[in-house]
Amino acid sequence: MRVFKMKKGNIVPFLRSLEEFGEVWGPVKKGDNYVYAHEDPEKFDLSALRTLIPAKKFFLPQKSTILKFKNGNWYTHSDCKKRVIFGLHPCDIHALNIYDEFYTRVYEDPYYKSNKEATLIIGLSCLPDEHCFCNLTDTSTVEKGFDLFFTELEDKFLVWVGSPRGDDILAKRSDMVEDITKEDIKDYIEWRKRRENMFKVDLSFTGLPEIVSASYDSDIWDKMGSACLSCGTCTMVCPTCTCFDVEDEYDIRADEMNRNRKWYSCMFREYSLVAGGHNFREARAERLRLWYTHKLVGFMSEYGDPACVGCGRCVVSCPVGINVLSIVRALTGEKNDAFWAKTEVKQI
Amino acid sequence: MGKPKIGIYGLTGCAGDQLNILNCEDELLKLFDIFEVKSFVMASRSKDESVPLDVAFVEGSVSTEKDLEELKKIRQKSKILVAIGHCAVFGGVQSMYLGCEPWIERYKKVYGREDAVTISPPLDPKPLSAYVKVDAVLPGCPIEKEPFLKMAGLLAQGVIPKNPDYPVCAECKWKENECLLLKGEICLGPITSAGCGAICPSLNIGCIGCWGPIEDENFASGIALLESKGYTLDEIVKRFSIFGGTERGEKLAKYIAKVKEGHNG
Ligand code: SF4
Ligand code: SF4
Ligand code: SF4
Ligand code: SF4
Repeated sequence: MRVFKMKKGNIVPFLRSLEEFGEVWGPVKKGDNYVYAHEDPEKFDLSALRTLIPAKKFFLPQKSTILKFKNGNWYTHSDCKKRVIFGLHPCDIHALNIYDEFYTRVYEDPYYKSNKEATLIIGLSCLPDEHCFCNLTDTSTVEKGFDLFFTELEDKFLVWVGSPRGDDILAKRSDMVEDITKEDIKDYIEWRKRRENMFKVDLSFTGLPEIVSASYDSDIWDKMGSACLSCGTCTMVCPTCTCFDVEDEYDIRADEMNRNRKWYSCMFREYSLVAGGHNFREARAERLRLWYTHKLVGFMSEYGDPACVGCGRCVVSCPVGINVLSIVRALTGEKNDAFWAKTEVKQI
Repeated sequence: MGKPKIGIYGLTGCAGDQLNILNCEDELLKLFDIFEVKSFVMASRSKDESVPLDVAFVEGSVSTEKDLEELKKIRQKSKILVAIGHCAVFGGVQSMYLGCEPWIERYKKVYGREDAVTISPPLDPKPLSAYVKVDAVLPGCPIEKEPFLKMAGLLAQGVIPKNPDYPVCAECKWKENECLLLKGEICLGPITSAGCGAICPSLNIGCIGCWGPIEDENFASGIALLESKGYTLDEIVKRFSIFGGTERGEKLAKYIAKVKEGHNG
């Protein structure tokens, strides 16, 4: 992989210059959190860790119209836009690689594919907080799935080239980058060691698929099910959740029918409701068990990796503390002070 | 096929839903264009109650004998009956759980005496579905313009629209809001039916549940969670009751009985 260095002061002009490819989006502050927004790169916060909603929104939007029906005919419809997305961390890029597997390997989703092709992905290094555990899911560094990747060292960025498009971009902006020296690589190695020592989640994921499979009949699923609000937040914030629902909407102003797809969740009762009124995952406990078996076991046997990238979004988002970490703690007999584990909910 | 014939009616309610239909100013002509409006007393005094309807929209709860009679008549002549607004769908604030039974006690608490309503004998306020078959619902207090237009659009195409069976939290996350519940505020998003587009949390205000309870609500966990954040059961029950309608009211009564039982046992 080719690597260059860039002075810190060059990052904003560099990102601004990318508007010629498309809208430049990056992480900006929202309250105490972050969202990807199309703003002047000056406003991007390079210290942002996890955004409220992951970058999947660019490739499978929360809601989008895929077909229109007017005057007796169907037309495909796409809102595909050219974009540059800056600030994705290794876990985020791994999650997009999982999306690629899911949306292009067996059945190619044309909407996903065109959104992906229209997007430049620019990664950014990060320093983990207490909720990050990408070191345990093997996703703390990334080799593919980006056009450029910026590693932020004390006094400079190292810029890794990940695609021919990335190469072209730098070639056209050669005045903004320099060749690296031995000194730069030494600084990088130092930084990497420091980062590796910053991970704080003290758990082992070794043998996790087997542990989860063997716990199929465990009573922890019922315990969690009793506390789960079925709010769907975990699936909306998870960068590897891919599910959507399709619905038709009639627009009386334009006199046309829109077929929309929107994010959906296996935490919702209706998700597993089938014709005839049968629901094969009526109980909350069954829905939760599906989610975690899918993430940690099923995806593994299908694609070779778990569908969790250790981003910590479920950890900070579930109102009752149901998340990969509290489940692994419960299944491996570790101390667990999640709300769901320590509260007796009085179901009527 | 001619234009679908519709009627818009109000039982006991504040008429806010009918008003919001009238407020669809720019689209009103379009609505009158796609439907043949046979009765809409709020918009026009001329009405024709003699013909069968394809769709009847009914606002308000059944709170008097007169309401009930009218509802039965409407049901009889309509192919599709749509309950619009919280009162018609869930019973409205007039049906809220106040912990006093039988309902006439609640009535006396509100009106001061037992014979206050004279137009027609009063009934325990209930949603339309307590008495007749309801084919579709559009909740909200009051209903919102966009969901109403979408529903009208589908009905005009002969499709019976479905109310979301997922909570406000879904729409809240689609909008990338910070979660108020996580910040320790009371937000009824997880137990409230989606459809409003998470209006309140998007403005940093906790949802008070005006779209009504989601059928699949786990309100017992909601109570436990809020108690763990320092709210009292009394405060929580009050908040859960306002737009809880009759069904959640029954669940709350059971829950409270169970808590008391626990204390005694
Ligand atoms: S696990 Fe948590 S975030 Fe997911 S649906 Fe249940 S309560 Fe909501
Ligand atoms: S399961 Fe949780 S930690 Fe893993 S990728 Fe999804 S949100 Fe992130
Ligand atoms: S703010 Fe309210 S509606 Fe939004 S996710 Fe949190 S609990 Fe749900
Ligand atoms: S957020 Fe809640 S209270 Fe606000 S409009 Fe929606 S359902 Fe009603």
